Amino acid sequence: MAAAGGGGGGGGGATTSGCGLKRRYAPHDQEEETMNQDQSSKEDWCGRLWNGMDLLKDVTENKHVLPTGLEGIDTLLGGGLRQGQLTEVTGPSSSGKTQVCLHSASHAAVKHMGVVMYLDTSNSFSPSRIATIIDGTNDLSDQRRFDLPHKERLKTMMRSIVCKSVFDIFGMFEVLHQLEVSLLNDKVKSGGRKICLLIVDSISSLLAPIIGGKYPQGRSMMISVAMILKKLAYKHNLSILVTNHMVSAGNGAVKPALGESWKAVPHVRLVISREHGSNICTATVLKHTLLVFPLAI
Amino acid sequence: MGEQSGKFLLCSHYILIFAWAQNAWDMLSDEQSQKHITTGSGDLNDILGGGIHCKEVTEIGGVPGVGKTQLGIQLAINVQIPVEYGGLGGKAVYIDTEGSFMVERVYQIAEGCIRDILEHFPHSHEKSSSGQKQLQPEHFLADIYYFRICSYTEQIAVINYLEKFLGEHKDVRIVVIDSVTFHFRQDFEDLALRTRVLSGLSLKLMKIAKTYNLAVVLLNQVTTKFTEGSFQLTLALGDSWSHSCTNRLILYWNGNERYAHLDKSPSLPVASAPYAVTGKGIRDALHTNLREVDATEQATTVFLYLNVWHILHSQIEKQLQGGQLPIGMDNS
Repeated sequence: MAAAGGGGGGGGGATTSGCGLKRRYAPHDQEEETMNQDQSSKEDWCGRLWNGMDLLKDVTENKHVLPTGLEGIDTLLGGGLRQGQLTEVTGPSSSGKTQVCLHSASHAAVKHMGVVMYLDTSNSFSPSRIATIIDGTNDLSDQRRFDLPHKERLKTMMRSIVCKSVFDIFGMFEVLHQLEVSLLNDKVKSGGRKICLLIVDSISSLLAPIIGGKYPQGRSMMISVAMILKKLAYKHNLSILVTNHMVSAGNGAVKPALGESWKAVPHVRLVISREHGSNICTATVLKHTLLVFPLAI
Repeated sequence: MGEQSGKFLLCSHYILIFAWAQNAWDMLSDEQSQKHITTGSGDLNDILGGGIHCKEVTEIGGVPGVGKTQLGIQLAINVQIPVEYGGLGGKAVYIDTEGSFMVERVYQIAEGCIRDILEHFPHSHEKSSSGQKQLQPEHFLADIYYFRICSYTEQIAVINYLEKFLGEHKDVRIVVIDSVTFHFRQDFEDLALRTRVLSGLSLKLMKIAKTYNLAVVLLNQVTTKFTEGSFQLTLALGDSWSHSCTNRLILYWNGNERYAHLDKSPSLPVASAPYAVTGKGIRDALHTNLREVDATEQATTVFLYLNVWHILHSQIEKQLQGGQLPIGMDNS
């Protein structure tokens, strides 16, 4: 659609001037342009149109569940961490949140489900603990690897867990952006294993320095991170596991950190707590999109 | 051949996507070659998995008088033990907020450390005269970089400056902050601001520990908190600080003996060990009484000193119901 190559401001439509530069679209002409274009670019704008049967087919075929390897938690989660969803584990200090993350990563590695990406904010990623957990699981069921010596097997499994330390929210945005870019590029390639699980331990320590106070930038950054994580989970079929800590709620009670705005973000929320001096932890479900739990809040 | 090509694809996958991250196998071999900073007490080293870990932030909390500063000074000395005697051969940064760093005591501890080294390695100092020259208490004192800060703004400034300082002094292997809570307990009306500032500080310390491959040790005081109708002792700075360390060690009294309880660790089980503060510094406790401490008695004493969140899990249970299942987490 050629228009008169007039002044830059008032001209409508795309046109190439003598020197090959494209003029910008004026806003009111954009809708006309898009309505006249093909189906595929409409998808680019507003995403693919699904019907109910497509969705059901997608859920049964593509959306798998990643078990964490911890029976009680898997039962509460309805099998494990669901692909395409964001799961949050919250709890007081040393209640076992990092252990849940390490177990999930090890279990995904042992079952060869894909690459696990672990974003660590408190230097708690312990490779020796991962090795101990992997050694402890019974992986005799995997017959393909039966002939390789034990060390080789451990090496293959551990090489599918990748860890990166992030120490501020901007570093986090950077990492997520790089991940998004590389996943988009990877779509056109085939071969190699794709990332299946993203663990952020803990997202609340990155957000704590900026949330609160009279300026809303902190909260908007939190919502941005939430949006990016959910988009990654949906578009690339990832399970995302994040941890949160507890803050005081007045009168000695405790509540999960990050406030009211964060409550709506994860699809599933679990609270875990540990008896002092014991190794038994208790988990409770705060929110679950699929399973129904009677809550008395 | 199929395996080989599979592995090659895996490698190129990593190069393209995860060039900026490390995989767990490489980190494992790095971790296994790391040396730990000995605390001076064998029992304490055992529960810590060999000693204080580098690249991690360890918080040590306890009542006044239980030996936190002594342990901090001992670590600042022990990090300087030369490599040939099993140490790290590094320097120390000591950030003092309360003025509890007594130089005469540091000299005493340095002498005690040297005497123990020479006892342990009686022949090695004859081989190299330069090695013996280094084993003087004066050299140990000279390798401690000391900062005395008098307000919370100075504390924030020092931690901000630390990154530049450590870039210039690459042989520092431990940073001790004694004590991290002192200046934040008074003069802070806005508690939300305090939480934000402290969270920012803890992230900076985590970054320093990881980037410069050193240990960060934070000494913390204990305060009383009124909960459930009675006063309980908890670590200062509240719930928000609890997640800001990689490991937590709590020092407490059990009768006449000093005990250390490992409360939080990503790879080690919860455990307690006795230790003693002697003229030479922190050493193993002498079991003079030969009394086996009853496990329940120990647990009761620890109960009083743990944070509120351990005690209040029952409150969470009252508020939330349903879907509760006990899960076994075996730390072995």
